[in-house]
Amino acid sequence: MGRYIIRRLLYMLVVVLVVSMITFLLMHAVPGGPFTQEKTLPEETIRILNERYHLDEPLYVQYASYLYAVFIPHFTATPPSTSYQDDFLLNVNIGPLWIRWMNFGPSYKARGRTVNDIFRDNLPISAQLGVMSLFIALLIGMPLGIMSALKQNTALDYFGMGVAIFGVSVPVIVLGPIFIWIFGIELKWLPPTGWTAKPPFFLGFLPSSLNWEFFQHALMPSVALGLGSSAVIARLTRATLLQTIREDYIRTARSKGLHERVIITRHAMKNSLIPVVTVLGPLFAALVTGTFVTELIFGIPGMGKYFVTSITNRDYPVIMGTILLYAVFLVLANLAVDITYAYLDPRIRYD
Amino acid sequence: MHKNFYVLSLLVILSMILTACGGTTTQAPAATEPAAPGATEPPAHAATEPPAPEGPKVLISTFLGPGDVPTIDPAVVQDVNGTQITDEAFGGVTHLNEVTNLIEPGMAESWDAVDNADGTQTITFHLRDDVPWVRWNGTDVETVKTCDGSADRIVTANDFAYGIYRNQLPANASPYAYLLGFVLKGAADFSSGTTEDFSTVGVNVVDDQTLELTFIDQVAYNPQIAGLWVAYAQPKWIIEGDCEGGVEARGERWIEPGFFQSYGPFTLKDWVHDDYISIVKNPFWPGSDAIPQPKLDEVVFRILDESAQLADYEAGNIDNVITPPLSDLDRIKADPALGAELSVSPQFCTYYYGFNTKAPVVDDVRVRRALSMAVDRQSLIDNVTKGGQEPAQWFARPGLAGSPTMADHPDLGIKYDPEAAKAELQSYLDEKGVTADSLDLSLQYNTSAGHQAIAETIQQMWKDTLGVNVKLVNQEFAVHLDSVKSRDTPQIYRLAWCLDYPDANNFDRENNAVNGSQNPAENGEPYGGFNWKNEEYEALVLEAAKETDPARRVELYAEAEDISIVQDAIMIPLYWYTDLDLTKPYVVRTYSSTGKQAFEKWDILPH
Repeated sequence: MGRYIIRRLLYMLVVVLVVSMITFLLMHAVPGGPFTQEKTLPEETIRILNERYHLDEPLYVQYASYLYAVFIPHFTATPPSTSYQDDFLLNVNIGPLWIRWMNFGPSYKARGRTVNDIFRDNLPISAQLGVMSLFIALLIGMPLGIMSALKQNTALDYFGMGVAIFGVSVPVIVLGPIFIWIFGIELKWLPPTGWTAKPPFFLGFLPSSLNWEFFQHALMPSVALGLGSSAVIARLTRATLLQTIREDYIRTARSKGLHERVIITRHAMKNSLIPVVTVLGPLFAALVTGTFVTELIFGIPGMGKYFVTSITNRDYPVIMGTILLYAVFLVLANLAVDITYAYLDPRIRYD
Repeated sequence: MHKNFYVLSLLVILSMILTACGGTTTQAPAATEPAAPGATEPPAHAATEPPAPEGPKVLISTFLGPGDVPTIDPAVVQDVNGTQITDEAFGGVTHLNEVTNLIEPGMAESWDAVDNADGTQTITFHLRDDVPWVRWNGTDVETVKTCDGSADRIVTANDFAYGIYRNQLPANASPYAYLLGFVLKGAADFSSGTTEDFSTVGVNVVDDQTLELTFIDQVAYNPQIAGLWVAYAQPKWIIEGDCEGGVEARGERWIEPGFFQSYGPFTLKDWVHDDYISIVKNPFWPGSDAIPQPKLDEVVFRILDESAQLADYEAGNIDNVITPPLSDLDRIKADPALGAELSVSPQFCTYYYGFNTKAPVVDDVRVRRALSMAVDRQSLIDNVTKGGQEPAQWFARPGLAGSPTMADHPDLGIKYDPEAAKAELQSYLDEKGVTADSLDLSLQYNTSAGHQAIAETIQQMWKDTLGVNVKLVNQEFAVHLDSVKSRDTPQIYRLAWCLDYPDANNFDRENNAVNGSQNPAENGEPYGGFNWKNEEYEALVLEAAKETDPARRVELYAEAEDISIVQDAIMIPLYWYTDLDLTKPYVVRTYSSTGKQAFEKWDILPH
């Protein structure tokens, strides 16, 4: 298993490299640059800006220096400076030597931020929202699916699947404002917008205080976002569980006199979890790196909008940074899913 | 399964206990030492809560999201939200009254202009001597002390000279460096890197309270530009370091909370990126008639999408919304409570359709005029945009210095006149021997629901009135911008122009004239955009820029508008923007027409 993981991590490096190359080429192929504006900047200013960000160099030089800044650790004797172009994620100081790694570059649009700032400040908030909505999705989706499978073709089943269809058909952009209107404006039970957790974070990504106010702000967005995924999970759970409880070993367990509850939770569920876990991997990556629409509607300062606005702004470092981040999360999530397979089904072995 | 469940729940409970122990830490660093000597950690952010009625007066306002305020460094700030913050935190030698748009004393109590023999103008600004630099130290606002800690650092002419230097420095690549480059002697050479000697720029520090600026032309708007954010005083010691290492050099990062220093009525308190930015009252601001001491204790600008702004406003958590969503306007106007809280004020932008005057079909001025006269602007505003905008008869919005107004020039420019439009087009059709529906015309705009609605309406108006079929093309914003300033500018395209400074020169000359933003030229010959050169127009706007008599200026600009809008019809001005605001009834405020509010004049009543 250990060698398998190391091999997968090496593959991840290759995948990330290929993604970076394709993204780099695509984003430079799109017309328009980071400094195109309605009020045309003077030529002189554009020339100076291009020089400052090395955009006047040939593409392969730009790509090579980007790879050097991001992937290769730097060994230097100069301590970190306050320049926005000199912001590394990892700074280790051993005596006179500084080891610095991962400089994703400054943002062209937001002169006062670097991509690393975005990772440090906005990613944890998106992650918090993502984890909570995933938790709610599982909390709603799995019991619903199990119940529908066990009571197949009864009213309970139709109710469960009705909720699933509703969750899948009504997108967050409709559900969100409805929640805000009902619970935020009419009943005034919950605050409509905002997110109380702000930097500095505990352990780098956890909210520094899990109080009632935090959950007040987090409840509506998590439910709005989680409902859609819960529908998918419910249907998948129902489908595989229906298949599993018709297997022979379940009949053996029943004839042996085991409790129905034990049969379902201990024997049937473990085997029907595989498709659900398969879906959970990419779902986790998608939710944790930020969702544009939910964060926009609920005013959550997450990372989702950077995926979209960086492209319209032609903010090259942010585009590369967000896409590479997503790629890494996706590959790691899939790796976790594959390892979970081995745990769920002992028949699956990796060399 | 059981064992794992217990382990898992134990972990969850453990993590909750640990995070509860973490708690909300608010550490105020020792406030006894001079400004941040060697301090490397900024004070931790304190969570801001909505205020109790008897507590400090905190106004919750909004900025339009998504997208954070890019920067609040006056040297490189560009967007309207960033300049709103810098306007409140700093101040120029002159101050623009936000309601009347007239020049008032700012950091300079008075100034005298001297016209030099070589055509330049030297203005001597006499600065106040009682304004200290201040900063937020985590618990309250304190003054910044000199190296030995004995006295406060006072804003001097040196700070203003340093501010201009930083704005013009090529290494800083300021997007608005060109503004001073247009007017200040030697600035263009310095900011382009032609010379590295800042002493060639027309900035002279006579003494701590006297600043001399030399301008290229003897024009009326020189004091206005001198008071813009590009020439605000900046604190050299926190940027480049001072006191033999006692004050750490922060470089570009001096604007971060904990290090930011300013001198205006407010100063930066907290900035949580993409969430909110808050400014706190500066009790050391001495106050003047033009810029009084603020009555508010704090202003929090929450960065939200417009629907989220409205939702929180209706829930009672926000006091002032700066952009209610267009789709909700009907509902807001119909609601008795909300409708009373809605305010419409002029905004200095013009929405227009430009022509490429050398492209096929639209190269004939009759076609352009016909298309312009066939647009029913009032109907467009009433039925499509619904924001209370004003139909635009010409380009330079009324209210700018030098701009004609509807009161004194009601018939200037172009109006909706379907009969005249048909007649114009008919004369073109007869001469060319073609029919209206055979004309090949296309209109390009940048992708957006709002622009699309307007384009479709106007397309229908042209079809109904003139019988022409205009194709609609939409492009993503940056692609559209590239295209309309290129050698292949489309026949008709959508654009808007907003002010940099409130003077008609900014509209008529800096956008329309040869080498302007929408009339790119090479060696004096336009090649894209309007693709237009009219010697009479060029002479008029040049003369108007130099003219000092306000009434004569208005006449000159009126003549120029007549040429650009009617005689040559290089564009179809559609409407002049308005600003829609929702303000709670317990907020006492002024209504700015410059797009930026003067929060030092606002107040909150007990409610």
